[in-house]
Amino acid sequence: MAKHETPLLDQLESGPWPSFVTDIKKQAETKPECWDILGILELSYKDRITHWKHGGIVGVFGYGGGIVGRYADLPKQFPGVEHFHTVRVAQPASKYYSTANLRKLMDLWEKHGSGMTNFHGSTGDVILLGTRTENLEPFFWDLTHEMGQDLGGSGSNLRTPANCIGQSRCEWSCYDTEECCHFLTMHYQDEIHRPAFPYKFKFKFSGCPNDCVASIARSDISVIGTWKDNIRIDQAAVKEYVAGNYPANGGAHSGKDWGKFDIQKEVIDLCPTECMWMEGDELKIDDAECTRCMHCINVMPRALRPGADQGASICVGAKAPILDGAQFSTLIVPFMKVSADNDFEELVEFIEGVWDWWMEVGKNRERVGETMQRLGLPTFLKVMGIEPIPQHVKEPRSNPYVFWKEEEVEGGFERDIDEFRRKHAA
Amino acid sequence: MALDKEALKDAIEEKATKSPKPQLYIKDFYACDPDSKPRVIKNVANEMVREGRLAFWSSGSTTMYGIPSRIQDEEHSKED
Repeated sequence: MAKHETPLLDQLESGPWPSFVTDIKKQAETKPECWDILGILELSYKDRITHWKHGGIVGVFGYGGGIVGRYADLPKQFPGVEHFHTVRVAQPASKYYSTANLRKLMDLWEKHGSGMTNFHGSTGDVILLGTRTENLEPFFWDLTHEMGQDLGGSGSNLRTPANCIGQSRCEWSCYDTEECCHFLTMHYQDEIHRPAFPYKFKFKFSGCPNDCVASIARSDISVIGTWKDNIRIDQAAVKEYVAGNYPANGGAHSGKDWGKFDIQKEVIDLCPTECMWMEGDELKIDDAECTRCMHCINVMPRALRPGADQGASICVGAKAPILDGAQFSTLIVPFMKVSADNDFEELVEFIEGVWDWWMEVGKNRERVGETMQRLGLPTFLKVMGIEPIPQHVKEPRSNPYVFWKEEEVEGGFERDIDEFRRKHAA
Repeated sequence: MALDKEALKDAIEEKATKSPKPQLYIKDFYACDPDSKPRVIKNVANEMVREGRLAFWSSGSTTMYGIPSRIQDEEHSKED
């Protein structure tokens, strides 16, 4: 029996699509506090203002992240959601779960919380919605001691690192994203659980430029698999695609007759750098011009594969639109070997170089991409000890001034100016 | 020369006590000892949380530090 009248929310159940209102009503049959979620949301729709307060000192002992305090500003009217804290549970690498694990996690959340979840938050964590402050420590004890799982990051912490399925199921993955993500998660436990930075910091790991975790759009450091040498071509398989014997895109577009496969129209003409052509019945690629868009490989996976000299490109500074709009991360290191053999040494050194600089010069609540924007890419490259290369240049310069550093000027700024003018008379 | 750990803790506590705002960003503590690296100050501040001398206050996206009683007083004043 509904506790509150919710005519506005009820409308959301009338469409043909699944409704979160129906789901919450169903959950409220066993967790009565969920009626108050519907009540407070209905009131927010009427008042056109949120009735949630966020933030506070909630957390579990020793951790400065993983719990996000949420309170209702009308606790007497909606006592079930007076406290309605969010818990972030670190997801397993690549989000591989067993059903036994999920059932146990849900049982735990039914015991200590509202039973409501959000799979997954945009950082990647399992989001458990709604519990009271006094339930946090018992939940945390059970999570860590019974299930061997841990909380994820929140606040000014390193957020829970995330990765694509990588080499566990994908032949395009140019490095072991799971190993890399797991190693760095363990290596930076302190940074995940305790606030260290001016603001949030994320890294994400994609095995190839398809970037299935969208690291280039969402992470402060994006590690995106790539290759140095040439795309591997199986010319016999190319012929099979042209003959229509292999389905394009691995059969992903089957179910409708798209007509005969046309390699010119569907692959060669769509190459953004126009670096492909046919010579007779052989496909040719000018690999020096390839920008790793992955389109040709996606369309003809049995004929084309990433090169064999594999590693990752490192990009820095993606963020969502709070200041100056959303931005993708910027390419900083075009190619880096990413290997567990040396404990990802080069990547760790790079990450800590970024952190040392950002912790010192970053303003409060400023993402590293915003710091880079404020101080300029040349400054960032200099601090990181990286020589500028053509791949760093986004567009031709619009500032006509060139500022020389003293060490770049022959004789420095204290040289004999009269001597200089004798050689360079006006 | 950088302060030793106990002197740094005292300086951080004094800053958190005297600040007009009960919650401070980690960067606000950098001025307590300009010779200490940010990472050292972060580690000391986190140790002080474990000792109960400081507490975390988090909005969910940002985490701040403060004297526990000052933060609690402010939280209660908001509820009233």
